[in-house]
Amino acid sequence: MKRAALVLLAVVSALRLSAQDSPTRPPRPLPLGPVRFPPFKEAILPNGLALVVIEHHEQPVVSVSLSFGAGAIHDPAGKEGLSDLTAEVLSKGTETRTAEQIASTIEGVGGHLSASSGDDFLTISVDALSDQVELVFELLGDVTLHATFAASELDLARTRSLSALALQLSQPGAVAQRVFTSELYGRNPYGRSPTRESYRAVTVDDVAQFAHTRLRPAGALLVVAGDVTEAQVRELVAKAFGGWRGAPPPSPALPAPATRLVSDILLVHRPGSTQANIIVGNPTTLPTDPVYYAGRIAAQVLGGGPDSRLFLILREQKSWTYGAYASLHRHRALGHWQATAEVRTDVADSALVELLHQIDRMRADVVPDSELAAAKGFLVGSFPLTIETPNQIASQVANAKLLGLGDDYLRLYRERLTAVTALQARAAAVRLFRRNALTIVVVGDGSKLYDRLKAIAPVRIIDVDDKPLTPAALNPVAAPVALDRAQFAAHSDSARVLVQGNAVGFTVSEVRRPGDSLIYAERSNLGNGAFRQQTTLVLDPADGVVRQVDQVTTQQGQTGETHLVYAAGRVKGSSSAPQPDGSVKRFDVDTALPPGTFDENAVPFVVPALPLAPGKVFAMTFFTPSENAIKVLTFKVGAPETVSVPAGTFQGFRIDATGSRVPFTMYVSTDVPRRVVKTEFAGQPFVVELVK
Amino acid sequence: MRSGVRVAGVVGVLLIGGAWRAPALAAQAGRISYEAFTLPNGLHVLYSEDHSTPIVSVDVWYNTGSRNERPSRSGFAHLFEHMMFEGSAHVKKGEHFQLISRAGGSENGSTAEDRTNYYETIPSNRLNLALWLEADRMRSLAITDENFHNQRETVKEERRLRVDNQPYAPAFIDGMTWPFDSAACFAYAHTVIGSMDDLNAAQLSDVQAFFDTYYAPNNATLVVVGDFRPLELRRFVNQYFSEIPRHADPSPVSCSSKLGPGTARRELTDAHANLPAVIRIYRVPPHAHPDTPALELLNVILGGGESSRLNVAVVRREKAALGTQVAMNPFDSRRGPGVLLALAIANQGVDPLKLDTLVSAQLDSLRTTGVTSEELAKAKNTFRAGFIHGRETTLGKAEELQHYDMFHASLAEINTDLDRFLAVTAEDIRRVAGKYLDPANALVILVKPAAGGGAK
Repeated sequence: MKRAALVLLAVVSALRLSAQDSPTRPPRPLPLGPVRFPPFKEAILPNGLALVVIEHHEQPVVSVSLSFGAGAIHDPAGKEGLSDLTAEVLSKGTETRTAEQIASTIEGVGGHLSASSGDDFLTISVDALSDQVELVFELLGDVTLHATFAASELDLARTRSLSALALQLSQPGAVAQRVFTSELYGRNPYGRSPTRESYRAVTVDDVAQFAHTRLRPAGALLVVAGDVTEAQVRELVAKAFGGWRGAPPPSPALPAPATRLVSDILLVHRPGSTQANIIVGNPTTLPTDPVYYAGRIAAQVLGGGPDSRLFLILREQKSWTYGAYASLHRHRALGHWQATAEVRTDVADSALVELLHQIDRMRADVVPDSELAAAKGFLVGSFPLTIETPNQIASQVANAKLLGLGDDYLRLYRERLTAVTALQARAAAVRLFRRNALTIVVVGDGSKLYDRLKAIAPVRIIDVDDKPLTPAALNPVAAPVALDRAQFAAHSDSARVLVQGNAVGFTVSEVRRPGDSLIYAERSNLGNGAFRQQTTLVLDPADGVVRQVDQVTTQQGQTGETHLVYAAGRVKGSSSAPQPDGSVKRFDVDTALPPGTFDENAVPFVVPALPLAPGKVFAMTFFTPSENAIKVLTFKVGAPETVSVPAGTFQGFRIDATGSRVPFTMYVSTDVPRRVVKTEFAGQPFVVELVK
Repeated sequence: MRSGVRVAGVVGVLLIGGAWRAPALAAQAGRISYEAFTLPNGLHVLYSEDHSTPIVSVDVWYNTGSRNERPSRSGFAHLFEHMMFEGSAHVKKGEHFQLISRAGGSENGSTAEDRTNYYETIPSNRLNLALWLEADRMRSLAITDENFHNQRETVKEERRLRVDNQPYAPAFIDGMTWPFDSAACFAYAHTVIGSMDDLNAAQLSDVQAFFDTYYAPNNATLVVVGDFRPLELRRFVNQYFSEIPRHADPSPVSCSSKLGPGTARRELTDAHANLPAVIRIYRVPPHAHPDTPALELLNVILGGGESSRLNVAVVRREKAALGTQVAMNPFDSRRGPGVLLALAIANQGVDPLKLDTLVSAQLDSLRTTGVTSEELAKAKNTFRAGFIHGRETTLGKAEELQHYDMFHASLAEINTDLDRFLAVTAEDIRRVAGKYLDPANALVILVKPAAGGGAK
């Protein structure tokens, strides 16, 4: 008995010891040894090229980057984009290789070669598996020294850059950043962006000259990282760049931006935006300014990541955004800082107010110890994550050298951050976050944003092409438009209705002239009777204005009828319409109307009768019986396009209509008498095409 | 959101001659050695040591994604992923981000069709913290009204940011789902981000049910890669995870989809776009299908880099496109049928129909005349380089382990898979091009800008 009890006890206690409970608080850190910045070798070669070699032998990879002081700030005024185009064309043909040969040679071994240009620097990058390191250097030397800058390649690069600019202008984040930078830096070249005109102004001679003068070894930086040795690299550099000499002219001194005296708001009107993109910031300092460390801590507390104020408040607390952040940006010369958030339109004003309030807090209040420790915990503690791959190490070294941060920078970075006090962080916030001289840019639907933003600060409005807009331009004012009476002549059109490319029915539209009267009638049959509608509009023969509407709609067995009379500035009657769920919605209608209001059923009659011309915009008021609502529909007329439908091939004005429940596009023949040739509905697989 | 390109395995002797380095490094490149064990509650654990940097990546995959959603409840798996950061029994709201960040770590998660992942990379002395956080939320996620409403609004803003307010994105996600019929394969017939209507209609009880069904140790794999000691890791895992009860195994997902039936076209007007675009979509088989390696190489030849077919023919020679891109299963691989998408954005003034003709001509040429030996070598070398780069980091390796565990018949393929790619022939590529890029299998979306954009 006693032995069994002892055995039982032993078993139970063994069970208890091995099933240790999971802690209810986060477990404490284990010890961690010191982590140093990985060693690297550096030298200045006789021709002035700075060489850095980071030996890293874990993976058989090598990457090389060659940077020159040849970024966008060196573009002459009126030729912004020159550096960009030069970088693009650099890899598109040398004396011994065509563009396609360069691409297939490096990509044939699984590597990459590209060149790109930023504000300060133009960088050529090549990478491959390390057994191809000879080829890497050969190609790098070839494109750097022997590029041919063919006119055809410049033309192609330019065509693509112009398209890329159009693409950029359709993306709200890109528009916001472009406008913000321009607004913040003003006449300082960091604020410039290429335009259509400036891209077009760049010539082949410009590109060749730019490369010839600026892509010189003195002052350039070559960083090689990966499975190589310094001795190998020296040999390969000598071979690829033998005879390469010279220094570029000094980089221009950059004028200071104009001093800003108030924080006002630049609103970029982007119709149809479903969010507002907010960017806030101002110029800061030169990259070597020692305020950087305290400033970095302040920016981290404010908006460095998900453990920062902007994220925790604007997203986690208020549910206004997917993310809000703040960051410092260093350039070779004057840097800047910015805070960003993309928020839903109806809270854009509240979000901006909150963001400004958080900036105020950073300047007024000392950061509590726990947040200071949090910022350091991340910025200093994450160091081991930043040195895992040779490319990460290379990019840190390159950054320190290109910005002229000094030889101690990498070694003392963490120490300097750790030493920052809460008082210093506040002082940095006061100095760097210039609350009363902020550049504030908001990209979004101006018609919904303007009034609310106006209550926060003075607002200037532009469109995405930088053209100034007046507040009135945000809301197209509906005005009566005189219709072309030639369109009142009797005629009949048949159209077929397609869903996902399959014909499901037809619509016949007629203009009839019995006696002196003017009638517009439509009848439709879809899905073999599943949907039938007959509409008769009695119009004033003098001006086409709607006098009476009679409509019968049958959908899946349910019938609705609409009978309306338009007279003396009112519409009266009743409307009932079958709903998709089988019910019938009914309204009694008695509503005052603005002058020139049409019934929405008259749209196919009205639109071809407008004085159409490319670029014109008509905003008109319509009454929608099925919703018992008055709406402003805006019709934007585009350039004529070729449209092919069963009735033939036509040149048609493309007209985009917004303001109705579903936006739609109509193509109206340019020849008179005008006909609606085709209609498409945004986001729906539903198309109506003229048959005869 | 990650590319579905996967490369695996290594045979050092295949590297091209002239190597400076000792063969040993090349032979080892990309090999991942690992150990596995399973807890009694079904949690599958894989680990691999890497002491090169004092960091560790902890990566949990739950065997759930948008494919587990039902009609009128799209976007759920992704919304749930957001909920997982909102706190658990011993972690307050916001504290998850706080604890990892203060420890010098980075964290994130992502939702795809077949899986949801949660990962952190952190200095190696905080391994216990990362594991403890994963265990606490697996066991006891705080599903409250407040968290739910907050993250639902956040996800709606994410949808606006990534899709509704961007050019081309709505057309792109339409393209990803169009090949699938809602009745036969709802799993892939709807988008990961979900519709605004469904998100608005979601209820707290739905969230709780989702957690109960899918967020269980028997439905998860935990992978740890980095600088740790195995005995210590096993001790932590046992201590934090072993008491979490298992749930019933979730029901399987089915999807039936066939190639065909014939080219279908759709025109979409994009209110935000300035330039026309073309998206061609083709159905491809599940990732584990033997045709996958040839399809992946075809992908590289068709759309990879400046020397790709589409770039050379459509961008450079015809000057018809600003750029082209080809992607297979852009969010992640699938156990069910997938999609291959070819996207081209037109230069100003180029008609999208003409652009489509040029794109489809390149696809046709792969079917009729096949690929050259140079193209084949390029694709294989690109793969091998990609495979090595993909396994350079602890997180990269962790994701590879997860991928092979879920999408391959055997995890051991992680070190042999590259051989399959290197064995693909030009005839294989022509054959899969013929089978999957058949016009009968093609869906085409023409994206047209609204008036006022374009020719400026």
